[in-house]
Amino acid sequence: MSNGSAFLSISGLRKSYGAQEALCGVDLDLQRGEFLCLFGPNGAGKSTLLKIIATLLRPDAGQVKVCDYDLEEHPEQYRAHLGMVSHQSFVYQDLTVLENLEFYAALYGVEQPRERALELLDQVNLADRYDMLAANLSRGMQQRLSIARALINDPELLLLDEPYTGLDEYAASVLRDQLQLLHDRKRTIIMVTHNLRRGMESATKLGILARGELVYLEQKAAIDPTSFEDLYFRHLEMA
Amino acid sequence: MKSLRQIRFLLDKDLRIELRKKESLVSMAFFGALILVMLNISSGIGRQVDAETGAGILWVAIIFSSVLGLGRVFSREKENGCVAALLISPVTPGEIFVAKTLVNFTLMLLSELVLVPVFYVLFGAQLSFSLLTLLPVLLLVNLGFSTTGTLISAISAGTRRNEVLLPILLFPLILPLTALAVKATAATMAAKPFAELLPQLEPMFAFCVIFSAVGYLLFPFTIRED
Repeated sequence: MSNGSAFLSISGLRKSYGAQEALCGVDLDLQRGEFLCLFGPNGAGKSTLLKIIATLLRPDAGQVKVCDYDLEEHPEQYRAHLGMVSHQSFVYQDLTVLENLEFYAALYGVEQPRERALELLDQVNLADRYDMLAANLSRGMQQRLSIARALINDPELLLLDEPYTGLDEYAASVLRDQLQLLHDRKRTIIMVTHNLRRGMESATKLGILARGELVYLEQKAAIDPTSFEDLYFRHLEMA
Repeated sequence: MKSLRQIRFLLDKDLRIELRKKESLVSMAFFGALILVMLNISSGIGRQVDAETGAGILWVAIIFSSVLGLGRVFSREKENGCVAALLISPVTPGEIFVAKTLVNFTLMLLSELVLVPVFYVLFGAQLSFSLLTLLPVLLLVNLGFSTTGTLISAISAGTRRNEVLLPILLFPLILPLTALAVKATAATMAAKPFAELLPQLEPMFAFCVIFSAVGYLLFPFTIRED
């Protein structure tokens, strides 16, 4: 299954929590610029898969490579090109909007961190709130700040775990626009979501993860949306 | 050089938040001063204490109050999953450990700037004060306590009973350091020359080296989820 020329190559990935098997041998290849949306019932192993790709969890077995870098052997180089948006905002409540972005920009070694932070704040429409404490932002604004934070290092690989959770329509449209921009710039994106409409409108590849196995993976262009929905709901019922 | 830069960014961020909120610092200084006042009242106001008792009182106040600051340093990272954001950044767990140790070290030092004068006002009428001999003791305890405390607070921050588990795990580990610190401080308060403190300062230094190394090596296993 693994292809040596793939941008992201996952082979034989396994992870258990005690006796509970979360991933049972996942294989996945993604080319540079592909946008994969993964669906699946609760407890299917979607977040575990993202956490392993993000180096937050160690797999029990298997391998993840990005640009031929093994993430266990070169974690720092790998992480420099990684971005993640989760349902948690990853922002410090007691820092201002701008301070949060400048801090992360500094960690990633971004040249001209303030300029980059202001540019992103402008893109997510938070420029006029740069000096507000993150704690005083609404949930939707915090999520927009979280999107800006994830993009601060201009990531080659962006991971999104339920990014639309708690977003209002405006924040959701900001996220969709940012994803489209990244996709246009050939960034590789993996998104995990339960939102079929949002997932299907953005992705170029769709997958279903169920009971720790990647049971379906196909280019969106080759998929009939109605039959995909039926298949997805069948897996939800079986879970 | 890159590591030093990353440590500085992490340290700047934590100190900026602390100076803005003053949560840990105020609670540490206030709680420590409260302990000193309570011990002063319970031992009889105005009653003089000998050097060994005085040293014990000072370190009880410093150690108990410092636990408040330790707990806060990691609970802040757990809010909104910020620790995950650090772990997926190019920062290494070792750099996070060093930065957090320095934050705890700084907070302890700042709270001691309040607690040592308060102690001398309440208990110190007949005790000698020499900054030259007291400072090395304070610095070594701060370092040993900060390295051990950073490791243990990272372990306990992942549990539901953080505030209970932290002192239960930490106090037995720092018992040798505290005992040596009390002895060295007593010598300082009895106006003994610096050379007489060396039998305590040397093992305290060894404690710091060992726990710094152990903390640095074990820290990555304490902050990852698996």
